[in-house]
Amino acid sequence: MRWTTSRVFCIAALSLIFLGGIYLLMLPSESEGASGIETPAAEADAETDANSSEGPEKVLKIATPNVIKSESLIGDYYLGIFAHLSNFPLMQMSEDGKIVGRLADHYEVSEDHREWTFYIRDDLYWSDGVKVTPEDVQFSMLYYGEKNPSGRWINETLESSSVSDTDNSVTFKFNKPYTRIDLEFTTYNILPAHVWESIENPMEYSSKGPYVGCGPYYIESVDLNTARLIFRKNPYWKGKKCAFDKVEVDWYASEDAACLALEKGEADTYYKYASSYPYANIERLEKTGDFNFVEKDSAGMCYLGITLNEAPRSDLQFREALAYAINYEELMQLDTLGYGSVPNRGLVPPGMEYYKPTEKCTYDPEKAREILKKAGYEDRNGNGIVENKNGKDILLELMILPGYERDAELLQEYFRAVGIDIEIENVDQNTYMDRKDTSRYELVFSRTTPWGMLMHSGLGTGYFDSRRYGYIEDPAFTGLCDQILNTTDSETLRSCSYSLQDYYAEELPVIPVYWKKVVTPYNKRFEGWHYNNLDGIYTLDTFLDLHEV
Amino acid sequence: MSEMVKKTLRYAASFFLIVTLNFAFPRLMPGDPVKNLIGEDVYVSEAVMEELRAEMGLNRPLYEQFTAYIGDLLRFDLGYSYHLHSPVAEVLRERIGWTLLFVGVSVLMGAVLGTLLGAYAGWKPETKVNRLVCCGFIALSCTPPYFLALLCLDIFAFELGLFPFKGFYDVPTPGSVMYHMFLPVTVMALFSASRNFLIMRGSVIQEKGQLYALYARAKGLYNISILFRHVIKNASLPIITLLALDFGFLFSGALFTEIVFSLNGMGTLIYDAIIGKDYPVLQGSFLVIALAVLLANMLADLLYAVADPRVRRPT
Repeated sequence: MRWTTSRVFCIAALSLIFLGGIYLLMLPSESEGASGIETPAAEADAETDANSSEGPEKVLKIATPNVIKSESLIGDYYLGIFAHLSNFPLMQMSEDGKIVGRLADHYEVSEDHREWTFYIRDDLYWSDGVKVTPEDVQFSMLYYGEKNPSGRWINETLESSSVSDTDNSVTFKFNKPYTRIDLEFTTYNILPAHVWESIENPMEYSSKGPYVGCGPYYIESVDLNTARLIFRKNPYWKGKKCAFDKVEVDWYASEDAACLALEKGEADTYYKYASSYPYANIERLEKTGDFNFVEKDSAGMCYLGITLNEAPRSDLQFREALAYAINYEELMQLDTLGYGSVPNRGLVPPGMEYYKPTEKCTYDPEKAREILKKAGYEDRNGNGIVENKNGKDILLELMILPGYERDAELLQEYFRAVGIDIEIENVDQNTYMDRKDTSRYELVFSRTTPWGMLMHSGLGTGYFDSRRYGYIEDPAFTGLCDQILNTTDSETLRSCSYSLQDYYAEELPVIPVYWKKVVTPYNKRFEGWHYNNLDGIYTLDTFLDLHEV
Repeated sequence: MSEMVKKTLRYAASFFLIVTLNFAFPRLMPGDPVKNLIGEDVYVSEAVMEELRAEMGLNRPLYEQFTAYIGDLLRFDLGYSYHLHSPVAEVLRERIGWTLLFVGVSVLMGAVLGTLLGAYAGWKPETKVNRLVCCGFIALSCTPPYFLALLCLDIFAFELGLFPFKGFYDVPTPGSVMYHMFLPVTVMALFSASRNFLIMRGSVIQEKGQLYALYARAKGLYNISILFRHVIKNASLPIITLLALDFGFLFSGALFTEIVFSLNGMGTLIYDAIIGKDYPVLQGSFLVIALAVLLANMLADLLYAVADPRVRRPT
């Protein structure tokens, strides 16, 4: 057989016709497009739909790279985060970084900080029509304490709990003073006791939905095969009316695919927990003309951690030299493409409560060399690397996770330029966690998350206090952490927080490398976006205020 | 002892070794499964960590953990996933079905396409069309899978809007599944075909120079008959080996394709289990893969005998 041009052309044309036929067969029909999922709340829904949507169903679509891996409401990390919309936590963060009520209206705390009373809102109803009660809150917290590994601290510290139906409150009594319960309770979704009490092991319970919720929406379905989580309007919601009948969260395992889908108009906004829309894709998205952006200072940041257990790292002068050797502007520009800023030595970014402006980090390699020389670190053998006080070349190991190679190489270059040799250790996540939590490293380049910045005594102390996951043993530092942990008085908190930032700035146990912004795109057709440092744009206010322009 | 019994014993020994390695390898990885479970930004006391370790059976000596693991296996119990909060057998059952569907179809399509085109290209390597096809397949086999998958997504889903971005379906109907599977299956079939094409082409080029091919031509057989009745049979032995190896790939899924198209398959399951140190999922997945590879090798042994009379001839 000879492959003449006409024969090749004919075969190609036939193949195209064949493939086109298959494609037409595969296209979903109109009837397939509408989901036929029936839910227990369907009757109530029908009623609501009749009232709210005479026209086509209004759907808000959110694209996210946060992949839900299991249909377990309590067990899956990201499903738990998204479920804040349907199963309110007791508390939430406000736009100005304060902890305010969500399911709770307000709270009281005893003088010894052991007894916390939360007054529950009396206008909340579960999506099956049952009223939300303080018993639900008590049940949920005891449930988490007993069954959820990351909630075991509740079981460890909770002495007793009681409810009062007269003032719709629930009281938790702890076996030690606890000043940050309001913050801790921003993460635990409250469950309907009448549904969950029959489930022996909630961690093992998974369902494709619906899950009974008490927010403006409840979870109608979660389907790992479509990679989609669907919220439907709670027919018993008495609060402000929402503009959308349905909220669809579409997750994409690849960030690139999520960005393409957003650009194509498959979603109205993009949400990644504790992160920004990829900076490199912002310009491309801007060019479509369809999107605006919420741009806010992030509570998360990048830093260089320095364990202080051995010389020369334990020497403040040496750490000063390290701080002056870093070209902050270059690193920030490279990593954030300008959506960041050179940090202050006080570590804490401006978006956080009790932020104190401290001295700006500056790049001055000449000064770094001078400081090293004055402190006795000199290059006596002329090989370009300074020697420590024992006469050996200084070589430090810099531990990083995959993804930070470029930053590590630049840091290596900066430090070598002032005479400090660096060996980069690129380790996997498991090794990283293991070594970081036990402080078995010399230097680490890493990032903080907003929640991480708030944990322990806040202001990043959870990362650095040796009694948690850190390496700072200095009583001056741990004492400040304890003072913060022992008070709920805002003036004392302010003064201690300021002192803590001064400590970071003066002692440099950690060098902030850059602060960054969280940029969240949204379709111009919608207005009413709100933002807080913990949840980004995924806040209750956003869902209540969002409307079509 | 008959050959069959010897082979069975050999496979049984391999299976036991695999089971032992399945137990050992995840535990050799650095890190602590309990810390992974708790998460990076959550602090719990050492007492709670110990309590959790005890609940997961990780505080017991390794030999006790091993005997418990073997005991569970004998009861067909693959354990319970720390992270997915589900019995491993259930997780695997769901994932294997979908993975078989999209990777299995891709491997089969790749095998047919690659073998036939490779055979023809090897038979007439000098023609322009075959040279062009060969260049195309070399380029494909050199392209990183993630890049090719993303390129296809960009062109066919983003630019042309012909296919969806993610998932196995929108609604669980055959049409919707086919619509969603088209791009991932095409990408993987092309990869599979490129490997098979290159091996088959080389194999046919070698075989067509053998005396039996010359003899067939001397008998007056047409080219097409020589290729498809004689040469392809002998040239397909390396393809059978490759297909047997691909069975492992079949169950371990295609990580990159799954990530780009957000598919809930075996590849991401294993990847997440490695990251999260989810021992039961790792053990269960590797066991299934090992069983599949053993089975495929047994089938390959049988197919060798069918394809090559020298194999079934007693020595």
